[in-house]
Amino acid sequence: MTSSATKIVIITEKLILGQVTGLIEAAGASGYTVVAAGGKGSRGVRSSGPAAVIDEFSNVKIEVITADRSKATRIADQVAERFFGNYSGIIYLEGVEVLRPQKF
Amino acid sequence: MDFLADFMSRLIAQFQSPSLAFLLGGMVLAASGSKLQIPDAIYKFCVFMLLMRIGLEGGMEIREANLGDMLLPGFLAVVIGCGIVFAGRFTLALLPGVRFEDGVATAGLFGAVSASTLAAALVMLEEQAVSYEAWVPALYPLMDIPALVLAIILANIYLAKQKDGKRSRVSIGAIVSDSLRGSALSALLLGLALGLFSRPEIVYEGFYDPLFRGLLSILLLTMGMEAWTRLSELRRVAHWYAFYATTAPLVHGLIAFGLGYLAHLLTGFSPGGVILLAVIASSNSDISGPPTLRAAIPSANPSAYIGASTSVGTPVAIAVGIPLYIALGEAVFGF
Repeated sequence: MTSSATKIVIITEKLILGQVTGLIEAAGASGYTVVAAGGKGSRGVRSSGPAAVIDEFSNVKIEVITADRSKATRIADQVAERFFGNYSGIIYLEGVEVLRPQKF
Repeated sequence: MDFLADFMSRLIAQFQSPSLAFLLGGMVLAASGSKLQIPDAIYKFCVFMLLMRIGLEGGMEIREANLGDMLLPGFLAVVIGCGIVFAGRFTLALLPGVRFEDGVATAGLFGAVSASTLAAALVMLEEQAVSYEAWVPALYPLMDIPALVLAIILANIYLAKQKDGKRSRVSIGAIVSDSLRGSALSALLLGLALGLFSRPEIVYEGFYDPLFRGLLSILLLTMGMEAWTRLSELRRVAHWYAFYATTAPLVHGLIAFGLGYLAHLLTGFSPGGVILLAVIASSNSDISGPPTLRAAIPSANPSAYIGASTSVGTPVAIAVGIPLYIALGEAVFGF
């Protein structure tokens, strides 16, 4: 049995990972997932593999799932406003079906 | 004329050092599009091993050293670090096409110190059997941290003026602790403490010292590859960065050599120490400095300061600076 929820996906610089996850937790999300990310965007190519001597400048993808959509948009707005003036990043929301909805 | 010919032949001999060959080899590999990659973990391990070895050796020898001798060179290191940032603030940062905060951040990195450059210089001095005081590598943080702190303060003062006087407070304590917790300085300071307070001779002689040169060659190969890869970023910013990155390391090193020579006359600072002081001044931070600046001056463009430092400044400091100062030292001190 699934129920619907909202997933926020944030792709940004590893350097600000701690600040972004702090903001996510403060907004009341119950958890998040972080994976290494790479690709190409307006600020150039980021490797997903090795060869980046400065680890902090690699990218990460952070996923957060919230049961309630307004909380998701609030988190997304806050992250975009606070960090994306100076740091590179993108955010998008997705509707997802989750099992065990009490976890979110 | 004899002096000049002698000097040139010494300089050419220095260029044949294996350390430089690996650095240039890395650049050639990256330029030719080679698929060779040095995994991140290995690179980090190399940095740890080098700094731990330098720290252990320093710590073991400091036990018998007279630390009063360190006062003047230590003071000089702080003055040079801050002087480089001020010099960059009044030259590079005011040039056309250079944004002030980008220029100051670049000067901050050039004032800060590179672990790989320092390690390469230590190996080259040992190859020539030039002796230096064991505490000289401990000048690293004394130049590195003040330079980064000053650059961050100058940039924030300027940015605050742009936004009608509302100053965002710069937390100096946070910057200092962030620098000290960086991978390179942590390893160096732990090594110093272990060398000073424990008896690490067995692991030092059996493990850290024999591996030092081999790991340095891998590190320099990686630095060479990274330098070439980052060149593309430098192309996107003003040409002044390339000019600054080529000349500044040598100017800084020569000034430091002069100041070190004064310390040699005043307090008997060793010739090897004078050369190392010049190398430290000449080097620019390539591992721990950039993230600190990125976090503390978020509006500065990292392509400008990392392109200038990693892709031009570090190769110039290693490939031209170190041979130059050693040859100069041979000419001046006649060892």
